[in-house]
Amino acid sequence: MQMTNSNADRFRKQAIASDLEEPVREARNLAEKLGLDPYPVKYWIVDYDEMNELIAYGGFQSRYPHWRWGMQYDRQQKQGQYGGGKAFEIVNNDNPAHAFLQESNTLADQKAVITHVEAHSDFFAKNEWFGLFTSGQSDEGQVNAAAMLERHARAIDEYMSDPEIDRAEVEKWIDHCLSLEDNIDQHQVFSRRLETDGPAEEIDEDLAAKLDELGLSEEIKGEVFDDEWLEKLEGEDGPVNFPEKPEKDVLSFVREHGKRYDEEAGRAVEMEPWQRDVLDMMRAEAYYFAAQKMTKVMNEGWAAYWESTMMTDERFAGDDEFMNYADHMAKVLASGGLNPYSLGMELWEYVENTTNRREVLERLLRVEGISWRNLADVVDFDAVLETLEPPTALASVDAAELEDLTGLPDEWVDREALERARDGEIDLERYPWKALTYEGLARRHYSLVKRQHRGFLSRVNQNELERIGRYLFDDERYASVEEALEDVDFAAGWDRMYDVRESHNDVTFLDEFLTQEFITENNYFTYEHSQATGQFHVASDAAEDVKKKLLLQFTNFGKPTIAVYDGNYNNANELLLGHQYNGVMLDLGQARETLKRIFELWGRPVNLLTIVKEVDEHDIEVAKRRNREPEPEERGKLIRYDGTEVTTESVSWEEVDHLAADDVDYDTKPEDWLA
Amino acid sequence: MGLRDDLERFREVGEQRREDLADFIKYGDLGGGRPDQIQIPVKIVSLPEFEYDRRDQGGVGQGDGGTPDVGQPVGQPQPQPGDGDDGDGDEPGEEGGDHEYYEMDPEEFAQELDEELGLDLEPKGKKVVEEKEGPFTDLTRTGPDSTLDFERMFKEGLKRKLAMDFDEEFLREVCKVEGFGPRDVFEWARGESIPVSMAWIEDAYDDVPSEERGAWASIEELEANVERQSVQQKIRREGIKHVPFRREDERYRHPEIIEEKEKNVVVVNIRDVSGSMREKKRELVERTFTPLDWYLTGKYDNAEFVYIAHDAEAWAVEREEFFGIRSGGGTKISSAYELAQELLEEYPWSDWNRYVFAAGDSENSSNDTEERVIPLMEAIPANLHAYVETQPSGNAINATHAEELERHFGRDAEDVAVAYVNGADDVTDAIYDILSTEGDADD
Repeated sequence: MQMTNSNADRFRKQAIASDLEEPVREARNLAEKLGLDPYPVKYWIVDYDEMNELIAYGGFQSRYPHWRWGMQYDRQQKQGQYGGGKAFEIVNNDNPAHAFLQESNTLADQKAVITHVEAHSDFFAKNEWFGLFTSGQSDEGQVNAAAMLERHARAIDEYMSDPEIDRAEVEKWIDHCLSLEDNIDQHQVFSRRLETDGPAEEIDEDLAAKLDELGLSEEIKGEVFDDEWLEKLEGEDGPVNFPEKPEKDVLSFVREHGKRYDEEAGRAVEMEPWQRDVLDMMRAEAYYFAAQKMTKVMNEGWAAYWESTMMTDERFAGDDEFMNYADHMAKVLASGGLNPYSLGMELWEYVENTTNRREVLERLLRVEGISWRNLADVVDFDAVLETLEPPTALASVDAAELEDLTGLPDEWVDREALERARDGEIDLERYPWKALTYEGLARRHYSLVKRQHRGFLSRVNQNELERIGRYLFDDERYASVEEALEDVDFAAGWDRMYDVRESHNDVTFLDEFLTQEFITENNYFTYEHSQATGQFHVASDAAEDVKKKLLLQFTNFGKPTIAVYDGNYNNANELLLGHQYNGVMLDLGQARETLKRIFELWGRPVNLLTIVKEVDEHDIEVAKRRNREPEPEERGKLIRYDGTEVTTESVSWEEVDHLAADDVDYDTKPEDWLA
Repeated sequence: MGLRDDLERFREVGEQRREDLADFIKYGDLGGGRPDQIQIPVKIVSLPEFEYDRRDQGGVGQGDGGTPDVGQPVGQPQPQPGDGDDGDGDEPGEEGGDHEYYEMDPEEFAQELDEELGLDLEPKGKKVVEEKEGPFTDLTRTGPDSTLDFERMFKEGLKRKLAMDFDEEFLREVCKVEGFGPRDVFEWARGESIPVSMAWIEDAYDDVPSEERGAWASIEELEANVERQSVQQKIRREGIKHVPFRREDERYRHPEIIEEKEKNVVVVNIRDVSGSMREKKRELVERTFTPLDWYLTGKYDNAEFVYIAHDAEAWAVEREEFFGIRSGGGTKISSAYELAQELLEEYPWSDWNRYVFAAGDSENSSNDTEERVIPLMEAIPANLHAYVETQPSGNAINATHAEELERHFGRDAEDVAVAYVNGADDVTDAIYDILSTEGDADD
């Protein structure tokens, strides 16, 4: 991307930038007070067009030449033109992270973006899934994504400009690789080269033909390379299985063992060095972006949560900017469906609230005479909440009441900062949090007493009480409720959130924290397609069903799992892929097209074993008449592309049995569905 | 390298993969997109990937103020959170790949159609929308000081100087030629077209010290010994000491007035919506009219559309309804032209290009064509009147409107076109017939 560089342009942006220096500095201070530990962030002021360009390039300034960036740019421009789509923030996962602020944003928007970005940057730095790409080392040398992408851009551009290489060929090759973009092993630490167990020395499938080409005389062949010798060699096909275990990283497998199909020669030949190089680059980028795809809900929710804490609770938006901000926030969260912002943010609040509730309940259950059986009856939750309210001095930190702060416990107050505030070095009016510690802030923003969460504590059900109370030791520690509440750790919720953001990804996050309550409150339901009516119908509003469907959409990028099962299939170096069937069949049209692409990367015939659901026409007719859903039958199929045509043949169940999972079921159709 | 290139590559890729324009007009889904934007389905711009069968996958939806009942149909699946960056999922395509759309704007469409059908319609600018000040290129002899064209004055002064200046040194030498009096010097100078006055020569002559008089035996000797210097050389050597500014060289600039003519077009679409216009006929009208609208929108700066539906009576409608209306009733085509005439008053012929397109199955009430429609068509000035007959099943007995028009106006009329569309295959030919008819009659 070319950043425009006229002087007027630069001065204008500089002016905006200098207005933002303080918010940027203080947002970082606040973020750190709150316990966030972000990568350093470099902020850039960009105009509308530059923003569109950045969006098209996935948040970076330079990418390899490819038509799809153009497509995204085109779409982005048209959206802006017709839909008034306004891009708010871009931050990329890098150390230092780079964030882009659009110059037309209001100051309130800019502050919101900055606080949001700080939280993203923390997530990039601390979430373990991001660590997979960097081998857990998040130092500058390790990440440097912008530099990597820039390097790729330049390398590919050079290949494209190389007179020896056809530009269109490079682009096509990239397309082929991109078809397999999600066929990587995103749960593994990224390594540039995958060590797969191949046959020790690859034996050419048609060694005999090669020998023929050498034009040796029959005598010599008879002497040295006799049939016996050939058979012996071709029989020793390395390990029995190649790969030993099914290999999910299809991209790396074809990189290590693939060839390309040479039209002229009519056979597979070694890939050109540039082809392997491009494959490597595409694979590296796929791994780099994988973590982002795996943690979208968590990451957006995390950023929205802390943005809201900073902007609203800590009043990082000035009073005059606040309405503007609240408006913006409402729009972002309200944009329909299951948007990752609102879903993520609600789940984080749920993590916080349940942890805080558990902490309170564990204290209460240790009061003499209170057990999980009677807690709900003997404890006055309103009174408990009253006690849990932060002290006034803490809730409303104010320069005028410095003396009140002095009276607060040491663990909440940053004494040194308080001194400096007294000397007028710190403006507590604007930045009250500067006088507080992490614990103090946790106390100040304690979730259970917030207006929107006040009912949370009392909504605890008997099951949960029992789960917490049943095996509690030391259960007569406190003489009274008041005494118990004094020991409550107010930072428990935040501490837990920090743990969760380190180890979870969207799948585990949703699995663990998506609750019945959340699903019901938001009117979520599942829908399924009916063969009888040819339409989608509502299938279930049960929480476990909704969760099941959602998990399907998040597991493995929402894509079916495909692995290499044999790199020497048919004993002819053909590729055999297996679709690990979880009850949801493949889009066969897409699968066929994808096989054609893989052929280009393998150079020899490619095969895919899968399981499909078939419904008899007659059964559909019968089902239609009876308002029922026909029962499909699962059958094994082998789809094959040999370079000229795609064939699909039925195979026996034995051949696909190993692909079928019997412990998952994503079907949410009820028994008497359409009755 | 860079986004511009990527965008261009996308256009190229989209171009290669998009449906052929003529096929799109004949068989494609014309309903997609906004009127100012034409969406042509592109095959497989998104790359194929292993994906779940969309139907078998099902999905999660969110009820609006309550959870819908189990079994209730939900229409098309909502976008799912996992879908993320890779565009919208569509129906599982049999041969794979989502249908992306290759979007054209009307200008692009018009250009492509020109190429595809070999058209070359040049829209005429009519209405003067703006008289704006052009560059300050016109000059007057008076004006405010700030608009004084100093550069011009300087140049004129310089020219004057060049014209008036002469090689004074040489002339002084000429005064020293043996036997030359002032008059001789003057005569010689005149012969050489040197712009010098008699007075100057007399002064110079007097200034020659007596011992130098007759220093040169002849002009020839002088010329052989002293180099003459052209004015240009002189200025180069000595610089311009003085440029004479004269009042008569003063010019004041003022802006040129440019008439900006807007290429305005109003297109009247008339459609028979009577009972005999069944679905098939209706669709053929849409297929013919829609590309015509797009084309003209693309060709003109400003395109306005008037939609008239008629059976025995006519009424104006909005575009959204236009192709969908069905009514009972008989047919009286003249009713539509009467309404068109009335509505066109808002678009004076002096300012607007006008196209009046009518379509139907050629059925009309008896004598209406001859007695009412033809006179009205002649009375409504327009770049082009066209009638599109849509008769999927060949000719009906009473359907003679098109024929009558053709008989009256002749096949080669410059501003009347009659086209027959019996099936989708005829659509592009009809469009060609119509758009290639417009003459230059009113230029």
